[in-house]
Amino acid sequence: MIRARSASLVYQDHGRDVFACRDIDLEVRENEFLGILGPSGSGKSSLLYLLSGLKTPTSGDITLGDRSLASMSDEERSRLRLSEFGFVFQQPYLLGYLSALENIVIADPHGSNPKAEASQMLARLGMAEKAHRQPHELSGGERQRVCVARALLGSPKVIFADEPTAALDHVNGAAVVELLNTLRGNGSLVMVTHDESMLGAADRIVRLADGVLVQALG
Amino acid sequence: MRPLAPLTYLVRNAGKTIPLIGVIVLAVLLVCGIISLINSIPLSIRVIYSYNKEFLGVSPRGDPTQTPRIVADIKKNSPIPVERAIICRATTNQVKSIVGKWPFVVVGLGQEDMIWYLRRQLSKGLEGRMPTPGAPEALVSKPVARNLSLGIGSVLLSPDSNESYSPMPVKVVGIADTDRWLMFTSIEYQQENHSPPIDLAMIFAKDVQQQAKLDLWAEAHFKGQRAQLWAYHQIEKNTQEMFATLYQILNVVIGTLALVITIMMGMLMNIYQSQRLVEFGLLQAIGYTKKQLLRRVLIESVVVVIAGWIIGMVVGYGLLILAQKLMMEPKSFALNPADPTAFAYTIPIPFAILVVAIATVVLRFRSFDPVGIVERRLV
Repeated sequence: MIRARSASLVYQDHGRDVFACRDIDLEVRENEFLGILGPSGSGKSSLLYLLSGLKTPTSGDITLGDRSLASMSDEERSRLRLSEFGFVFQQPYLLGYLSALENIVIADPHGSNPKAEASQMLARLGMAEKAHRQPHELSGGERQRVCVARALLGSPKVIFADEPTAALDHVNGAAVVELLNTLRGNGSLVMVTHDESMLGAADRIVRLADGVLVQALG
Repeated sequence: MRPLAPLTYLVRNAGKTIPLIGVIVLAVLLVCGIISLINSIPLSIRVIYSYNKEFLGVSPRGDPTQTPRIVADIKKNSPIPVERAIICRATTNQVKSIVGKWPFVVVGLGQEDMIWYLRRQLSKGLEGRMPTPGAPEALVSKPVARNLSLGIGSVLLSPDSNESYSPMPVKVVGIADTDRWLMFTSIEYQQENHSPPIDLAMIFAKDVQQQAKLDLWAEAHFKGQRAQLWAYHQIEKNTQEMFATLYQILNVVIGTLALVITIMMGMLMNIYQSQRLVEFGLLQAIGYTKKQLLRRVLIESVVVVIAGWIIGMVVGYGLLILAQKLMMEPKSFALNPADPTAFAYTIPIPFAILVVAIATVVLRFRSFDPVGIVERRLV
């Protein structure tokens, strides 16, 4: 479904080329849970940004079906992210002036009834009674669950999770991963982490070191 | 309310929105207040001397016996019908304005002329009575009474006063109910007690609307002759000339003020938007386009600026009404709370602020990278 072909991402650091990712060949298959594992600074987040269209490769290509993400305009990539992808980031970013429910709804502004869907999602996450609470009234784990609900709204084709457990304790982290995996339906889940124990349910795991794919499991 | 509707942010972040609107309100208030108060000076001149709209004043130069000849000349050659020519005497007094004292004329009139003239000056009635011929008595109109704090029995002219001199204390015996500024004594009193002994003429057009035409004709007709004219359009012309330089200076001051306000507001708007980088980063990361975010920010800015401008104008109008009622009207000082020029001067403020705000936001969005936000590199 999403395929990286010799994709590289190079940053400039004081006039010197630094490879965040180098010649990555990888496919995200339909309905799979793909884990991207690696130590800090190995380029796993950069790979996730490339696969999700948040960054464009310096060389090589990323395609979704037969569409090249690099050849799309910034605006087309944004629309693609909103309609086809869901995101969970390291930090449970929520808009402080919106309720939990509204923070979920913003992920699917063109849906037929995003509010009802968001309410159902919160109920499935065990947070129905907290739908109208503001982010500052929620714990860290609850905020990340709202982020999970936001990522799942509209049944995206792929959910990208960038170290979604980084700001949580192990129990809450594991619960978040389980929710992502069980509620993703037919969507694929691409999860970046440095904690291998979080990838127990992954269909496939790839390892990165210094921006290079070093191992694929499963 | 949709979660990402511009009003949602503005209403739910009232703590940030209200100060921004407040600064614009104060800016608009400041500008329309300054202009209204400055404009009240020429307006006062026009209001105080508006009695001159009703007649053409004429006096001879050099030879004081020439008044009857001048009047006959006007009656014979005037291009429009003359309703009445009144012979009067005059002495000077002063009235108060917000910028100090201004000269004002006390007209000495015959009893019958005084009654006719009061009607011409739109008097609806009289408190007290008319001055007795030859007695040290005066009649003033309501605005003059308020301006000089005069009542029945108050002294209008006195031997002790340099600016309002008369050899005897001249007391107010009547107050005319008209908005025009008027001061009268009997002509007999002035003939006996005031100099110079020159008869003046007041020439009234039959149709008040044609008085200006008569004034202009007389000016051309008596050009180079030994007659001095007093016409309302001269007051208008002198006022405009007198204030032309002041308004040029005022334009520079208001322009500088608007520039300072604009730069300050631009910086405030920039800080205001900078506090929302995480929000913009998150929204762009999950798929909102830069165009969508920019449009939202621009609508918010327009709402804030327009709201500030409208509230500023409404509050400005309200405060000017208050100033008029509490400070100006008791002294008959002229002030127009709905001065269109004052409000026109505020129009560039919202536009300038919007341009600066939009420019700073557009520049920020051009180099904006959502990944930097979600990676916490930029927060």
